[in-house]
Amino acid sequence: MTQFVVKPGVKNLQHDGEKLITTHCCYCGMQCGMHIRVNEKTGKVVGVEPRYDWPVTLGKLCPKGVTAYQTVDHPERITKPLIKKNGKFVESSWTEALDLIEKNFKELQAKHGKDALSVFGGVSMTNEKCYLVGKYARVALGTRYVDYNGRFCMSSAAGGFMKTLGIDRGSTLPWPELEHTDCFFMAGSNTAECHPTTIQWLWKARDKGAKMIVADPRETPTARIADVHLDLKAGTDSALANGLMHLIVKEGYVDEEYVNERCNNYEELKTSVEKFTPEYTSKITGVSVGKLVKAAHIFGRSPRSVVMFARGVEQQSKGVDNVCLYTSMALLRGQIGKFASGVATFTGQGNGQGGREHGQKADALPGYRKIDNPDHVNYVSGVWGIDPAEMPKAGVSAYEMFDEIQKGNIRAMHVICSNPAVSAPNNHYIWDGFKKLDFMVVSDFFLSETAEFADVVLPATTWAEDEGTTTNLEGRVIRIRKVKDPIGDSKTDWEIMKLIAERMGKGSYFNYDNVPQIFEEFRIASKGGKADYSGMTYERIENEDGLFWPCPSEDHPGTPTMFQETFGTPDGKANLAAVDWQEPNENPSDAYPHILTTGRVVFHYLSGTQTRRTDFLMEQCPEPYAEMHPHLASKYALQDGDTVFLETKRGSMSVKARITKAIREDHVFIPYHWGKELSVNKLTNPALDPTSRMPEFKVCAVKLKKA
Amino acid sequence: MKKVMYLEFERCIGCRSCQAACRECGGHDAKERNYVEYIDFFESRQTFPMMCMQCKDPACAKVCPANAIQITEEGVVLSAMEEKCIGCRNCTFGCPFGIPKFDFEENKMYKCDMCYDRTKYDISPMCASVCPSDAIRFIDHDEMMELRRRRTQMNLIEGKKPSENDKWQYVPEFFGVYSD
Ligand code: SF4
Ligand code: SF4
Repeated sequence: MTQFVVKPGVKNLQHDGEKLITTHCCYCGMQCGMHIRVNEKTGKVVGVEPRYDWPVTLGKLCPKGVTAYQTVDHPERITKPLIKKNGKFVESSWTEALDLIEKNFKELQAKHGKDALSVFGGVSMTNEKCYLVGKYARVALGTRYVDYNGRFCMSSAAGGFMKTLGIDRGSTLPWPELEHTDCFFMAGSNTAECHPTTIQWLWKARDKGAKMIVADPRETPTARIADVHLDLKAGTDSALANGLMHLIVKEGYVDEEYVNERCNNYEELKTSVEKFTPEYTSKITGVSVGKLVKAAHIFGRSPRSVVMFARGVEQQSKGVDNVCLYTSMALLRGQIGKFASGVATFTGQGNGQGGREHGQKADALPGYRKIDNPDHVNYVSGVWGIDPAEMPKAGVSAYEMFDEIQKGNIRAMHVICSNPAVSAPNNHYIWDGFKKLDFMVVSDFFLSETAEFADVVLPATTWAEDEGTTTNLEGRVIRIRKVKDPIGDSKTDWEIMKLIAERMGKGSYFNYDNVPQIFEEFRIASKGGKADYSGMTYERIENEDGLFWPCPSEDHPGTPTMFQETFGTPDGKANLAAVDWQEPNENPSDAYPHILTTGRVVFHYLSGTQTRRTDFLMEQCPEPYAEMHPHLASKYALQDGDTVFLETKRGSMSVKARITKAIREDHVFIPYHWGKELSVNKLTNPALDPTSRMPEFKVCAVKLKKA
Repeated sequence: MKKVMYLEFERCIGCRSCQAACRECGGHDAKERNYVEYIDFFESRQTFPMMCMQCKDPACAKVCPANAIQITEEGVVLSAMEEKCIGCRNCTFGCPFGIPKFDFEENKMYKCDMCYDRTKYDISPMCASVCPSDAIRFIDHDEMMELRRRRTQMNLIEGKKPSENDKWQYVPEFFGVYSD
């Protein structure tokens, strides 16, 4: 197959002595297309060339994407297995490291049972690897305890979509259609910083007169360009959505025909939104009545609209409710399943979509199957060649695994492609959990804050040193190409899982020599499931600019637009949400008078393990800061650049104040990409959503003082 | 070169991808030559990109006593020639847009060359290629002129008509950089 994919007539600059290899960015769910420049003599990665003809992003890249290649041949890469001896890491051979893992894993299981081991996965890796993580935990280690960092990222969106639409596909429409949308309703998404290459589509639509409504406590670069900025208090999304639906119903903007034919619960919804008058909604959310009314009219009158949201609404203890309610807004207007309209969540991690579908989740099996469904267990056991009785039961969610550590049930953990020492809420609890473990293994290519706790660190490869597929935020499955061979002694995550499986006596279930073999098995494993990839091949993905799931057979064109005829629920109808507003888990009090919220900046990705090692990005944003309104700052006599001490019930930190009027007066914002003393997750609240088990990163009560 | 660089300041989202990309251009020595600045961070997050205007009669070249700043036949104003530049920094003060930068280690001026190694083949410069917001574009001259009239058109669609008091609101707000 071709390495450099380009459409006729598209010009790229080819430097002498270099080749271009076509792939996608390793970071966020946009999965922007790019070509990587490789020096033919040295084999080193030397730069990036825009991929003008990738239909989703048209060559555009954010600064993370431009510099992504710099992590590949980075001097800080781990190139040999590391074993901790007397508190210090010592380089070792693979045999020595695997011996140690085998000995400890076997001893712990002999003493404490199979479930003494656990696996903490991640979704910044290919579908092939994410699929294998679930199989590795359940077949190679035989433990029920497997979960992944998507719990901190996507699981509320997944839970909400499952409830309302019956299938969780991040976007119900393909991105290039956004150009034809008349109105964007965006809640809790700083698209301009977190998914920057989407902005081009918004502008294309706006050039034709499209309107934008943005709900965010901060006037983000996205909110700045909105027609209406709903500057709500963090944690009041469900009140806002109910309030807008109240107006949509009252003003006659409901698509009655669509709702009658395709939705359940309309009467219940009408009753439950009744009390959310603009005045009542305004009191809860802090958004003025005028803005609410204006937003409802713009949204209600737009023939084609898309409701979009992201972590701002999902990372709450009522994240699933928020998603259900916002999705219901789109349903009331009859938008889902039609051209240039629908509902979408902005997937945060590169493969946040694909990685959550195939069994890395505590209660899930490949193809979006459920572990509590005996038919599903039978099918997947058949593919894996195990006795269904051997399939472990459901485990617990990512944060709850740390409760199991405290209880002494989990004794060892293998962390793959994740850095919970930074990204999990209530950091102190996580750090304490790692210290309590009898044995800990981390696979990574940099020594992350989590890896520092490990007994053994296994050198994994970057995305550019392996091939496979990922599923972008639209639900489009795309090809990641191998750009170069792994550096040093590093190995791909699938090879690592295979090696450990062999040591655990389960090698015959992991008999892979290359990635396409895993893909073939994974196609079968997903067949018949909700997220059906069985009709996809690498050739088709390459020739058809990616393929949208479900794609159940090789002659099936894939499904760019979801729910055109029916929804994925048992009766084929969407379930409108009739849910009341509930307070966040923690509210400002006399002792902790302000609201702390967290988020990303454009220059960093997740826990920063990669982007904090990239020069350009660190020059732009070297450390976290506390963003606050001058009105709040003046109460504490803080000037721009002064150090401020922040404290919540769980932890404290000192950072510099950054003062701007582009944030609500009662909120403080801190980006979360740093570890240890600079980690804001020492302060965040681990209150979990009851359905998705996602922590409430976005709202907690904080007190400040000048340091 | 028939294309022009086209800037639409309002669109800038401050991601600084254009600067990261500038470092990636072949002859750029991993140093960016463009600027992105906040208008006033206390008030809002609005940023804007600033790059060389590739002036027809460039002040930087005019004030250079050593004649080190060359202009290509397509009208691209290049960085100072290494062998000629005497490091006097007149150009950095002469340029009304504050574009030329000075490298104190190497003692020479460097500036935007519109990614000459790309644009001479009509391939878009790196900054315009990657800008996720289309704040910087590399487009045909005709397309630019059309875009300049777009704002008036949008106003008319929305039913607004200019009056003597507010006709400035109907003036094209965008900016084109010509090389030719
Ligand atoms: S981080 Fe996201 S938006 Fe930025 S280049 Fe990578 S995929 Fe594109
Ligand atoms: S790349 Fe575009 S949006 Fe980003 S800073 Fe530069 S001009 Fe602004």
